[in-house]
Amino acid sequence: MAQIEQSGGGEKKKGAQKKMHIHVDFTPMVDMNMLLITFFMLCTTMLKSQTLNIILPTNEKVEKENQNKAKQSEAFTIIVDSERAESEDGKKPGRILGNYVYYYEGKPGVGEDGVITENNIKEPEQGNGTVNAGVVDQIRDVLRIKNKEVVKQLDELQKEWQAEKISNEEYQKRSKEIISSDKIEDKPVVIIKATPEASFANLVSALDEMQINGINTFQIDNLNHQDSILLKDYLTKHPRKK
Amino acid sequence: MGRVKIKRKSTLIDMTAMSDVTVLLLTFFMLTSTFLQKEPVTVKTPSSVSQLAVPASNLVTVLVDPEEHVFISFTGAESMPSDTVRMKVLEQAVATYNKLHKDKPLQLTQAQVQAFSSLSMFGCSFANLPAILSMTPQEQDLAMKPDQPGNMAGIPIDSRKEFQSNPNEFQIWMQAYQTVAQDIKCDVEKPDGTIDKEGTAFDLLRQGKVIAVKADETTPYSVVHVVMDNLQTMKMNRFTLMTSLKENK
Repeated sequence: MAQIEQSGGGEKKKGAQKKMHIHVDFTPMVDMNMLLITFFMLCTTMLKSQTLNIILPTNEKVEKENQNKAKQSEAFTIIVDSERAESEDGKKPGRILGNYVYYYEGKPGVGEDGVITENNIKEPEQGNGTVNAGVVDQIRDVLRIKNKEVVKQLDELQKEWQAEKISNEEYQKRSKEIISSDKIEDKPVVIIKATPEASFANLVSALDEMQINGINTFQIDNLNHQDSILLKDYLTKHPRKK
Repeated sequence: MGRVKIKRKSTLIDMTAMSDVTVLLLTFFMLTSTFLQKEPVTVKTPSSVSQLAVPASNLVTVLVDPEEHVFISFTGAESMPSDTVRMKVLEQAVATYNKLHKDKPLQLTQAQVQAFSSLSMFGCSFANLPAILSMTPQEQDLAMKPDQPGNMAGIPIDSRKEFQSNPNEFQIWMQAYQTVAQDIKCDVEKPDGTIDKEGTAFDLLRQGKVIAVKADETTPYSVVHVVMDNLQTMKMNRFTLMTSLKENK
């Protein structure tokens, strides 16, 4: 393979240096390298996963009482749900048939005794029932209106940033300030609740909406008895389309 | 008519340049690659707009599959490599377990402890631990896969609250890590942006940067909730959820 060629085979001059052409065939080397590259390309993870920070309240009772004091008139409750097919083997959770999101503002329209006074559950005008996760996008408009003061300021800031009036870091810093500012009034308190069947993706996309709409005060809570009654009542009045 | 002479051309192509390129590419891939972690179940994490990167050190991944099998993976830091962390966590956890089960204490040989320190992700009950750790790595993989017949997959978990007096096995493991974390030295970023050189992984745990819950996007909330509720009970109420990046519309 490696060849050493001598030039000018016939006439040899005395004292003249021999010209050596060294030619090494690199083809096998390239073959091997390509194989190795393929191996590394298949085995590596170029996409690193991301994480989403969440803080849950502690399970202590004292804090729970404080939470309930959060003004219920300002509260905005989101309920995420998924419709599932029958489980195939009784162990694995069933296939997702559709993802749903519901919301209500203020207090639930049902008393502690379970008597419905006024069912205030609503659902977005379109989008409910899609199989793809992330249906929570549909209530973005509602959330934007609820949090309009913050959203307005964020939009103004973004315009400035797009016009390159402020630097990237300043944009990040100022948007953080706006989101956590307590000077802005009428900021909603969002409570995210998920039914037991709701898919994990739905919960994450609900948390995403908080970030997208600059909502600073939100919490994940368990679906309570009152919510279940409301939801059941709503579903009998507005059956899911098949 | 003269015959057309076909010139004899050498078919040798100079591969040197090609070789250069491939070697460069190879170097790039070798240096940037992080190998896919071996996991007993493959999950597709939900997509999110959050852009926080997964930390490379001081990470506890809690993997939960749709059938409520729980797996844990501990990653160490520069000051304490992963295998040392795992060994110490095991020591702590077994000590706690033996205190609770005085009639059937768990005895592990040195070789079994070594085997545990090289396991990147594990998920089995304490009772099955000696059996799993005596197996070859291939057998371990199979024994911890939930879809295999006769598997021993999953750390037992339930929603009991008395984690101080009567913890479940998941709580024992997490408690053990919390104890070990106090000895893992690392830099800690304070809320005001300064870096504390004297910090420990315990501070990071308090900031919610250590525990990452990983679940498939179709997993029912009731399953994820069990894990979140357990963490909440242990006052590890700050943690992260593992997601993949969503393209912004």
